[in-house]
Amino acid sequence: MATGTEQPIPALEPFDSMGQFTDTVAGDVRDPYPRLAEKRRESPAERTHLPNAIGEPVETFIVYTYDLVSKLLRDNTTFSSGAIRELMGVVMGPYVLVGMDEPEHGRHRRLVSHAFRQKALARWEGELVGQVVGELIDRFAGRGSAELVREFTFQFPVQVIAEILGIPRRDNEQFHQWAIDIINVAANPERGIAASEAFRDYLSDIVEQRRAHPSDDVISDLVTAEMDGATLGDEEIYSFLRLLLPAGAETTYRATGNFLYGLFTNPEQLAALRADRSLMPQAVEESIRWESPLLITSRAALTDTELGGVEVPAGMPVVAHVGSANHDESRWDHPDDFDIHRPTKPHIAFGVGPHMCLGMHLARMEMRSAVEALLDRFDDLRLDPDVDDPHIHGERFRSPTSLPVLFTPA
Amino acid sequence: MVLELKIDREACIGSGNCVFWAPNTFDLDDEGTSIVINPEGDPDDAIMNAVDGCPTSAISAQPSE
Repeated sequence: MATGTEQPIPALEPFDSMGQFTDTVAGDVRDPYPRLAEKRRESPAERTHLPNAIGEPVETFIVYTYDLVSKLLRDNTTFSSGAIRELMGVVMGPYVLVGMDEPEHGRHRRLVSHAFRQKALARWEGELVGQVVGELIDRFAGRGSAELVREFTFQFPVQVIAEILGIPRRDNEQFHQWAIDIINVAANPERGIAASEAFRDYLSDIVEQRRAHPSDDVISDLVTAEMDGATLGDEEIYSFLRLLLPAGAETTYRATGNFLYGLFTNPEQLAALRADRSLMPQAVEESIRWESPLLITSRAALTDTELGGVEVPAGMPVVAHVGSANHDESRWDHPDDFDIHRPTKPHIAFGVGPHMCLGMHLARMEMRSAVEALLDRFDDLRLDPDVDDPHIHGERFRSPTSLPVLFTPA
Repeated sequence: MVLELKIDREACIGSGNCVFWAPNTFDLDDEGTSIVINPEGDPDDAIMNAVDGCPTSAISAQPSE
Protein backbone atom coordinates (compact mmCIF):
# COMPACT_ATOMS: atom_id res chain seq x y z
CA MET A 1 0.00 0.00 0.00
CA ALA A 2 1.29 3.43 -0.90
CA THR A 3 2.39 5.73 1.89
CA GLY A 4 3.21 9.40 2.18
CA THR A 5 6.83 8.78 1.23
CA GLU A 6 5.89 7.68 -2.25
CA GLN A 7 7.49 9.70 -5.00
CA PRO A 8 6.77 9.76 -8.70
CA ILE A 9 8.91 7.71 -11.06
CA PRO A 10 11.83 9.91 -12.17
CA ALA A 11 11.77 11.78 -15.45
CA LEU A 12 11.79 9.49 -18.45
CA GLU A 13 14.30 11.32 -20.62
CA PRO A 14 17.41 9.33 -19.60
CA PHE A 15 15.52 6.06 -19.74
CA ASP A 16 14.14 6.69 -23.21
CA SER A 17 17.64 7.43 -24.41
CA MET A 18 18.81 4.26 -22.75
CA GLY A 19 16.19 2.30 -24.66
CA GLN A 20 17.44 3.71 -27.90
CA PHE A 21 21.00 3.05 -26.83
CA THR A 22 20.23 -0.55 -25.96
CA ASP A 23 18.48 -1.26 -29.24
CA THR A 24 21.11 0.30 -31.47
CA VAL A 25 24.32 -0.72 -29.75
CA ALA A 26 23.56 -3.72 -27.60
CA GLY A 27 21.62 -5.57 -30.27
CA ASP A 28 18.42 -7.46 -29.60
CA VAL A 29 19.93 -10.87 -28.96
CA ARG A 30 18.41 -12.81 -26.12
CA ASP A 31 20.67 -15.81 -25.72
CA PRO A 32 23.97 -15.72 -27.62
CA TYR A 33 25.48 -18.55 -25.58
CA PRO A 34 24.42 -21.62 -27.64
CA ARG A 35 25.98 -20.06 -30.74
CA LEU A 36 29.13 -19.20 -28.77
CA ALA A 37 29.37 -22.77 -27.43
CA GLU A 38 29.26 -23.99 -31.02
CA LYS A 39 32.04 -21.56 -31.92
CA ARG A 40 34.22 -22.81 -29.05
CA ARG A 41 33.69 -26.38 -30.32
CA GLU A 42 33.93 -25.84 -34.07
CA SER A 43 36.17 -22.80 -34.61
CA PRO A 44 37.69 -21.44 -31.38
CA ALA A 45 39.88 -19.12 -33.48
CA GLU A 46 38.66 -17.96 -36.89
CA ARG A 47 38.87 -15.31 -39.54
CA THR A 48 35.47 -14.02 -40.54
CA HIS A 49 33.84 -10.91 -41.94
CA LEU A 50 32.27 -8.55 -39.40
CA PRO A 51 30.69 -5.14 -40.00
CA ASN A 52 32.90 -2.23 -38.94
CA ALA A 53 31.69 1.03 -37.37
CA ILE A 54 30.01 2.14 -40.60
CA GLY A 55 28.55 -1.24 -41.48
CA GLU A 56 31.10 -2.41 -44.07
CA PRO A 57 32.23 -6.04 -43.80
CA VAL A 58 35.89 -6.25 -42.77
CA GLU A 59 37.93 -9.42 -42.36
CA THR A 60 38.44 -9.88 -38.63
CA PHE A 61 40.21 -12.44 -36.45
CA ILE A 62 38.16 -13.58 -33.46
CA VAL A 63 38.84 -15.94 -30.55
CA TYR A 64 36.25 -17.60 -28.30
CA THR A 65 37.90 -19.82 -25.66
CA TYR A 66 39.17 -18.71 -22.26
CA ASP A 67 42.77 -19.67 -22.99
CA LEU A 68 42.91 -17.93 -26.37
CA VAL A 69 41.16 -14.77 -25.15
CA SER A 70 43.47 -14.63 -22.14
CA LYS A 71 46.57 -15.17 -24.28
CA LEU A 72 45.50 -12.50 -26.76
CA LEU A 73 44.70 -9.82 -24.18
CA ARG A 74 47.91 -10.47 -22.22
CA ASP A 75 50.06 -10.12 -25.36
CA ASN A 76 49.95 -6.39 -25.93
CA THR A 77 53.19 -6.36 -27.91
CA THR A 78 51.60 -8.40 -30.72
CA PHE A 79 48.06 -7.06 -30.37
CA SER A 80 47.65 -3.29 -30.20
CA SER A 81 44.85 -1.32 -28.57
CA GLY A 82 45.38 1.48 -31.08
CA ALA A 83 42.25 0.51 -33.03
CA ILE A 84 40.15 1.59 -30.05
CA ARG A 85 41.78 5.01 -30.18
CA GLU A 86 40.73 5.33 -33.82
CA LEU A 87 37.16 4.40 -32.95
CA MET A 88 36.70 6.27 -29.67
CA GLY A 89 39.15 9.12 -30.24
CA VAL A 90 36.44 10.91 -32.17
CA VAL A 91 34.47 11.43 -28.96
CA MET A 92 36.98 10.81 -26.19
CA GLY A 93 39.91 12.74 -27.65
CA PRO A 94 43.38 11.65 -28.76
CA TYR A 95 44.65 10.63 -25.33
CA VAL A 96 42.12 7.94 -24.48
CA LEU A 97 43.63 5.40 -22.09
CA VAL A 98 41.92 2.31 -23.54
CA GLY A 99 43.44 3.11 -26.94
CA MET A 100 47.08 3.42 -25.79
CA ASP A 101 49.89 0.88 -25.99
CA GLU A 102 52.93 0.62 -23.70
CA PRO A 103 54.80 2.49 -22.43
CA GLU A 104 52.40 5.41 -22.94
CA HIS A 105 49.46 3.48 -21.46
CA GLY A 106 51.20 2.56 -18.20
CA ARG A 107 52.46 6.09 -17.62
CA HIS A 108 48.98 7.51 -18.04
CA ARG A 109 47.24 4.78 -16.07
CA ARG A 110 49.50 5.36 -13.07
CA LEU A 111 48.26 8.95 -12.84
CA VAL A 112 44.80 7.82 -11.76
CA SER A 113 45.19 4.20 -10.63
CA HIS A 114 45.59 4.97 -6.93
CA ALA A 115 42.12 6.55 -6.80
CA PHE A 116 40.60 3.20 -7.84
CA ARG A 117 42.44 0.94 -5.40
CA GLN A 118 40.44 -0.99 -2.85
CA LYS A 119 41.79 0.97 0.11
CA ALA A 120 41.16 4.33 -1.55
CA LEU A 121 37.59 3.26 -2.36
CA ALA A 122 36.71 2.19 1.17
CA ARG A 123 35.84 5.74 2.20
CA TRP A 124 33.32 6.02 -0.63
CA GLU A 125 31.34 2.93 0.32
CA GLY A 126 29.32 4.34 3.20
CA GLU A 127 29.45 8.07 2.67
CA LEU A 128 28.77 8.01 -1.07
CA VAL A 129 27.45 4.68 -2.43
CA GLY A 130 25.35 3.95 0.65
CA GLN A 131 23.87 7.43 0.55
CA VAL A 132 23.12 7.43 -3.18
CA VAL A 133 21.43 4.02 -3.21
CA GLY A 134 19.57 4.84 0.01
CA GLU A 135 18.09 7.99 -1.51
CA LEU A 136 16.95 6.07 -4.59
CA ILE A 137 15.35 3.31 -2.50
CA ASP A 138 13.54 5.92 -0.38
CA ARG A 139 11.73 7.13 -3.49
CA PHE A 140 9.96 3.83 -4.11
CA ALA A 141 10.13 2.05 -0.75
CA GLY A 142 6.58 3.04 0.21
CA ARG A 143 5.03 1.99 -3.06
CA GLY A 144 5.27 -1.79 -2.84
CA SER A 145 6.43 -2.05 -6.43
CA ALA A 146 9.20 -0.61 -8.58
CA GLU A 147 11.00 -1.00 -11.86
CA LEU A 148 14.56 -1.43 -10.68
CA VAL A 149 16.36 -0.79 -13.97
CA ARG A 150 14.75 2.60 -14.48
CA GLU A 151 14.53 3.62 -10.83
CA PHE A 152 17.67 2.07 -9.37
CA THR A 153 20.39 0.33 -11.39
CA PHE A 154 20.42 2.95 -14.15
CA GLN A 155 20.51 5.78 -11.62
CA PHE A 156 23.20 5.14 -9.05
CA PRO A 157 26.51 4.34 -10.82
CA VAL A 158 26.63 7.62 -12.74
CA GLN A 159 26.18 9.58 -9.53
CA VAL A 160 28.93 7.58 -7.82
CA ILE A 161 31.52 7.96 -10.59
CA ALA A 162 30.71 11.67 -10.95
CA GLU A 163 31.44 12.31 -7.29
CA ILE A 164 34.70 10.32 -7.40
CA LEU A 165 35.82 12.21 -10.48
CA GLY A 166 34.81 15.54 -8.95
CA ILE A 167 31.79 16.47 -11.05
CA PRO A 168 28.77 17.87 -9.17
CA ARG A 169 26.24 15.08 -8.66
CA ARG A 170 23.28 17.42 -9.17
CA ASP A 171 23.98 17.53 -12.91
CA ASN A 172 23.87 13.73 -13.25
CA GLU A 173 20.96 13.55 -15.69
CA GLN A 174 22.76 15.84 -18.11
CA PHE A 175 26.07 14.04 -18.10
CA HIS A 176 24.43 10.64 -18.11
CA GLN A 177 22.93 11.67 -21.43
CA TRP A 178 26.36 12.71 -22.66
CA ALA A 179 27.85 9.43 -21.45
CA ILE A 180 25.27 7.45 -23.44
CA ASP A 181 25.76 9.53 -26.58
CA ILE A 182 29.55 9.19 -26.33
CA ILE A 183 29.45 5.39 -26.04
CA ASN A 184 26.85 5.26 -28.79
CA VAL A 185 29.01 7.15 -31.30
CA ALA A 186 29.26 4.29 -33.80
CA ALA A 187 25.48 4.20 -34.19
CA ASN A 188 24.94 7.96 -34.12
CA PRO A 189 28.12 9.95 -34.86
CA GLU A 190 26.48 13.40 -34.87
CA ARG A 191 25.00 12.93 -31.43
CA GLY A 192 28.20 11.44 -30.09
CA ILE A 193 30.34 14.31 -31.30
CA ALA A 194 27.86 16.93 -30.07
CA ALA A 195 27.81 15.29 -26.63
CA SER A 196 31.59 15.12 -26.56
CA GLU A 197 31.88 18.84 -27.27
CA ALA A 198 29.18 19.79 -24.79
CA PHE A 199 30.78 17.67 -22.07
CA ARG A 200 34.18 19.20 -22.82
CA ASP A 201 32.77 22.72 -22.40
CA TYR A 202 31.08 21.71 -19.16
CA LEU A 203 34.33 20.23 -17.85
CA SER A 204 36.48 23.23 -18.73
CA ASP A 205 35.06 25.34 -15.89
CA ILE A 206 35.52 22.54 -13.38
CA VAL A 207 39.10 21.88 -14.51
CA GLU A 208 39.91 25.57 -14.10
CA GLN A 209 38.38 25.62 -10.63
CA ARG A 210 40.47 22.62 -9.55
CA ARG A 211 43.64 24.17 -10.92
CA ALA A 212 43.00 27.11 -8.62
CA HIS A 213 41.75 25.04 -5.66
CA PRO A 214 42.73 21.35 -5.80
CA SER A 215 40.44 19.00 -3.88
CA ASP A 216 40.62 15.24 -3.20
CA ASP A 217 38.98 14.03 -6.41
CA VAL A 218 40.30 12.56 -9.66
CA ILE A 219 40.10 15.86 -11.55
CA SER A 220 42.38 17.39 -8.92
CA ASP A 221 44.78 14.45 -9.31
CA LEU A 222 44.87 15.08 -13.05
CA VAL A 223 45.43 18.84 -12.91
CA THR A 224 48.28 18.44 -10.39
CA ALA A 225 49.85 15.33 -11.99
CA GLU A 226 53.24 15.57 -13.65
CA MET A 227 54.58 13.36 -16.40
CA ASP A 228 58.16 13.84 -17.57
CA GLY A 229 58.30 17.02 -15.52
CA ALA A 230 55.28 18.64 -17.17
CA THR A 231 51.65 18.88 -16.12
CA LEU A 232 48.96 17.38 -18.33
CA GLY A 233 47.42 19.47 -21.07
CA ASP A 234 43.71 20.21 -21.13
CA GLU A 235 43.06 17.74 -23.96
CA GLU A 236 44.71 14.93 -22.00
CA ILE A 237 42.54 15.70 -18.98
CA TYR A 238 39.37 15.83 -21.08
CA SER A 239 40.25 12.50 -22.67
CA PHE A 240 40.54 10.88 -19.25
CA LEU A 241 37.22 12.25 -18.07
CA ARG A 242 35.33 11.50 -21.27
CA LEU A 243 36.44 7.88 -20.88
CA LEU A 244 36.02 7.43 -17.12
CA LEU A 245 32.52 8.87 -16.84
CA PRO A 246 30.88 6.54 -19.41
CA ALA A 247 33.05 3.62 -18.32
CA GLY A 248 31.92 4.05 -14.73
CA ALA A 249 28.30 4.76 -15.55
CA GLU A 250 27.37 2.20 -18.17
CA THR A 251 29.00 -1.08 -17.28
CA THR A 252 28.10 -1.01 -13.59
CA TYR A 253 24.42 -0.38 -14.19
CA ARG A 254 24.32 -3.33 -16.58
CA ALA A 255 26.26 -5.62 -14.25
CA THR A 256 24.07 -4.76 -11.26
CA GLY A 257 20.93 -5.45 -13.30
CA ASN A 258 22.30 -8.82 -14.38
CA PHE A 259 23.18 -9.69 -10.78
CA LEU A 260 19.65 -8.89 -9.59
CA TYR A 261 18.13 -10.81 -12.49
CA GLY A 262 20.25 -13.86 -11.61
CA LEU A 263 19.08 -13.70 -8.00
CA PHE A 264 15.39 -13.09 -8.80
CA THR A 265 15.25 -15.97 -11.28
CA ASN A 266 17.03 -18.31 -8.84
CA PRO A 267 15.05 -17.69 -5.63
CA GLU A 268 16.82 -20.45 -3.69
CA GLN A 269 20.14 -18.67 -4.30
CA LEU A 270 18.63 -15.34 -3.30
CA ALA A 271 17.45 -16.98 -0.06
CA ALA A 272 20.90 -18.45 0.54
CA LEU A 273 22.51 -15.06 0.06
CA ARG A 274 20.01 -13.44 2.42
CA ALA A 275 20.78 -16.06 5.04
CA ASP A 276 24.56 -15.82 4.64
CA ARG A 277 25.81 -12.45 3.47
CA SER A 278 29.40 -13.72 3.48
CA LEU A 279 28.47 -15.28 0.11
CA MET A 280 28.18 -11.78 -1.38
CA PRO A 281 31.68 -11.44 -2.92
CA GLN A 282 31.50 -14.80 -4.70
CA ALA A 283 27.92 -14.05 -5.79
CA VAL A 284 29.09 -10.78 -7.36
CA GLU A 285 31.93 -12.59 -9.19
CA GLU A 286 29.60 -15.32 -10.42
CA SER A 287 27.10 -12.81 -11.77
CA ILE A 288 29.78 -10.93 -13.71
CA ARG A 289 31.09 -14.21 -15.14
CA TRP A 290 27.61 -15.50 -15.97
CA GLU A 291 26.32 -12.36 -17.68
CA SER A 292 29.24 -10.06 -18.41
CA PRO A 293 28.00 -6.55 -19.23
CA LEU A 294 30.48 -6.12 -22.08
CA LEU A 295 30.94 -9.19 -24.30
CA ILE A 296 33.72 -8.25 -26.70
CA THR A 297 36.83 -6.11 -26.88
CA SER A 298 38.97 -5.18 -29.87
CA ARG A 299 42.65 -5.15 -30.80
CA ALA A 300 44.67 -5.14 -34.03
CA ALA A 301 47.66 -7.32 -34.97
CA LEU A 302 50.88 -5.30 -35.06
CA THR A 303 52.89 -8.01 -36.83
CA ASP A 304 52.17 -11.17 -38.81
CA THR A 305 51.34 -13.73 -36.16
CA GLU A 306 49.45 -16.93 -35.38
CA LEU A 307 47.02 -17.76 -32.61
CA GLY A 308 44.99 -20.92 -32.09
CA GLY A 309 46.40 -22.37 -35.32
CA VAL A 310 45.13 -19.49 -37.45
CA GLU A 311 47.44 -17.06 -39.26
CA VAL A 312 46.80 -13.40 -38.51
CA PRO A 313 48.41 -10.85 -40.83
CA ALA A 314 49.69 -7.52 -39.53
CA GLY A 315 47.00 -4.89 -39.43
CA MET A 316 44.04 -7.25 -39.18
CA PRO A 317 41.31 -6.27 -36.69
CA VAL A 318 41.12 -8.72 -33.79
CA VAL A 319 38.20 -9.43 -31.46
CA ALA A 320 38.48 -11.13 -28.06
CA HIS A 321 35.10 -12.65 -27.17
CA VAL A 322 35.13 -12.14 -23.42
CA GLY A 323 31.54 -13.32 -23.00
CA SER A 324 32.33 -16.62 -24.69
CA ALA A 325 35.53 -17.05 -22.67
CA ASN A 326 33.50 -16.70 -19.46
CA HIS A 327 31.28 -19.61 -20.56
CA ASP A 328 34.15 -21.93 -21.50
CA GLU A 329 33.13 -25.42 -20.38
CA SER A 330 36.76 -26.46 -20.01
CA ARG A 331 37.01 -23.99 -17.09
CA TRP A 332 33.48 -24.00 -15.58
CA ASP A 333 31.00 -26.87 -15.27
CA HIS A 334 27.54 -26.00 -16.62
CA PRO A 335 28.84 -22.54 -17.58
CA ASP A 336 25.44 -21.21 -18.67
CA ASP A 337 24.01 -21.72 -15.16
CA PHE A 338 24.06 -18.96 -12.55
CA ASP A 339 25.45 -20.65 -9.43
CA ILE A 340 26.76 -18.54 -6.57
CA HIS A 341 27.98 -21.68 -4.83
CA ARG A 342 30.42 -22.76 -7.53
CA PRO A 343 34.14 -22.67 -6.68
CA THR A 344 35.30 -19.15 -7.48
CA LYS A 345 38.11 -18.64 -9.93
CA PRO A 346 39.19 -15.68 -12.04
CA HIS A 347 36.94 -14.80 -14.97
CA ILE A 348 37.74 -12.36 -17.72
CA ALA A 349 34.77 -9.98 -17.56
CA PHE A 350 37.08 -7.12 -16.54
CA GLY A 351 39.49 -8.13 -19.30
CA VAL A 352 43.06 -9.17 -18.50
CA GLY A 353 46.50 -7.89 -19.42
CA PRO A 354 47.76 -4.34 -18.85
CA HIS A 355 44.38 -2.83 -19.80
CA MET A 356 42.41 -4.82 -17.20
CA CYS A 357 39.54 -2.68 -15.97
CA LEU A 358 40.79 0.19 -13.82
CA GLY A 359 37.38 0.40 -12.12
CA MET A 360 36.93 -3.27 -11.22
CA HIS A 361 37.18 -2.75 -7.45
CA LEU A 362 34.73 0.15 -7.65
CA ALA A 363 32.31 -1.94 -9.73
CA ARG A 364 32.49 -4.83 -7.25
CA MET A 365 31.94 -2.52 -4.29
CA GLU A 366 28.99 -0.75 -5.94
CA MET A 367 27.29 -4.01 -6.91
CA ARG A 368 27.72 -5.41 -3.42
CA SER A 369 26.53 -2.25 -1.68
CA ALA A 370 23.52 -1.76 -3.96
CA VAL A 371 22.25 -5.32 -3.55
CA GLU A 372 22.98 -5.31 0.21
CA ALA A 373 20.90 -2.14 0.54
CA LEU A 374 17.94 -3.71 -1.29
CA LEU A 375 18.11 -6.90 0.79
CA ASP A 376 18.41 -4.89 4.00
CA ARG A 377 15.33 -2.81 3.22
CA PHE A 378 12.96 -5.44 1.79
CA ASP A 379 12.42 -8.97 3.15
CA ASP A 380 10.34 -10.21 0.22
CA LEU A 381 11.78 -8.52 -2.86
CA ARG A 382 10.77 -10.54 -5.97
CA LEU A 383 9.99 -10.19 -9.67
CA ASP A 384 6.39 -9.22 -10.41
CA PRO A 385 4.93 -12.36 -12.05
CA ASP A 386 2.26 -10.35 -13.89
CA VAL A 387 4.65 -8.19 -15.90
CA ASP A 388 5.61 -9.56 -19.30
CA ASP A 389 8.83 -11.38 -19.75
CA PRO A 390 11.73 -9.33 -18.38
CA HIS A 391 14.95 -10.84 -19.74
CA ILE A 392 18.62 -10.10 -20.32
CA HIS A 393 19.44 -9.19 -23.89
CA GLY A 394 22.23 -7.81 -26.07
CA GLU A 395 24.99 -9.07 -28.33
CA ARG A 396 27.75 -6.62 -27.37
CA PHE A 397 26.43 -5.16 -24.12
CA ARG A 398 24.08 -7.18 -21.93
CA SER A 399 21.57 -6.18 -19.28
CA PRO A 400 17.93 -6.80 -18.38
CA THR A 401 15.15 -5.08 -20.34
CA SER A 402 13.45 -4.29 -17.03
CA LEU A 403 13.25 -5.54 -13.45
CA PRO A 404 9.63 -5.08 -12.28
CA VAL A 405 9.56 -6.04 -8.59
CA LEU A 406 7.07 -6.36 -5.75
CA PHE A 407 7.74 -6.05 -2.02
CA THR A 408 6.04 -5.18 1.26
CA PRO A 409 6.33 -1.39 1.58
CA ALA A 410 9.08 -0.44 4.01
CA MET B 1 52.10 -26.71 1.29
CA VAL B 2 54.09 -23.50 1.56
CA LEU B 3 54.36 -21.65 -1.73
CA GLU B 4 57.37 -19.59 -2.63
CA LEU B 5 55.88 -16.43 -4.12
CA LYS B 6 57.82 -14.05 -6.33
CA ILE B 7 56.60 -10.77 -7.77
CA ASP B 8 58.02 -9.23 -10.92
CA ARG B 9 57.92 -5.58 -9.90
CA GLU B 10 58.54 -4.41 -13.46
CA ALA B 11 55.55 -6.36 -14.79
CA CYS B 12 53.19 -5.46 -11.91
CA ILE B 13 50.71 -2.70 -12.83
CA GLY B 14 49.20 -2.43 -9.36
CA SER B 15 45.77 -3.67 -10.40
CA GLY B 16 45.18 -4.96 -6.86
CA ASN B 17 43.61 -8.13 -8.18
CA CYS B 18 45.97 -10.27 -6.06
CA VAL B 19 44.79 -8.39 -2.97
CA PHE B 20 41.21 -9.10 -4.00
CA TRP B 21 41.79 -12.86 -4.29
CA ALA B 22 44.21 -13.31 -1.38
CA PRO B 23 43.98 -10.27 0.91
CA ASN B 24 46.02 -11.79 3.75
CA THR B 25 48.87 -12.75 1.45
CA PHE B 26 49.33 -9.71 -0.80
CA ASP B 27 49.19 -5.96 -0.39
CA LEU B 28 50.19 -2.94 -2.45
CA ASP B 29 53.15 -0.86 -1.27
CA ASP B 30 53.35 2.94 -1.35
CA GLU B 31 54.28 2.85 -5.02
CA GLY B 32 51.21 0.75 -5.78
CA THR B 33 53.24 -2.38 -6.52
CA SER B 34 52.29 -5.79 -5.14
CA ILE B 35 54.18 -7.20 -2.16
CA VAL B 36 53.87 -10.48 -0.26
CA ILE B 37 52.93 -9.80 3.35
CA ASN B 38 52.47 -13.44 4.39
CA PRO B 39 53.10 -16.36 2.02
CA GLU B 40 50.74 -18.51 4.08
CA GLY B 41 48.12 -15.81 4.60
CA ASP B 42 45.37 -17.53 2.61
CA PRO B 43 44.45 -21.06 1.48
CA ASP B 44 46.46 -22.32 -1.49
CA ASP B 45 43.51 -22.15 -3.87
CA ALA B 46 43.00 -18.46 -3.05
CA ILE B 47 46.69 -17.77 -3.63
CA MET B 48 46.57 -19.65 -6.91
CA ASN B 49 43.56 -17.54 -7.96
CA ALA B 50 45.73 -14.48 -7.30
CA VAL B 51 48.50 -15.95 -9.47
CA ASP B 52 46.06 -16.99 -12.20
CA GLY B 53 44.15 -13.71 -12.03
CA CYS B 54 47.13 -11.36 -12.18
CA PRO B 55 46.53 -9.37 -15.37
CA THR B 56 50.23 -9.20 -16.27
CA SER B 57 51.32 -12.63 -14.96
CA ALA B 58 53.61 -10.85 -12.51
CA ILE B 59 53.29 -13.44 -9.70
CA SER B 60 55.00 -16.83 -9.73
CA ALA B 61 54.36 -19.55 -7.19
CA GLN B 62 56.61 -22.58 -6.62
CA PRO B 63 56.24 -25.22 -3.91
CA SER B 64 59.06 -24.69 -1.39
CA GLU B 65 60.63 -27.00 1.18
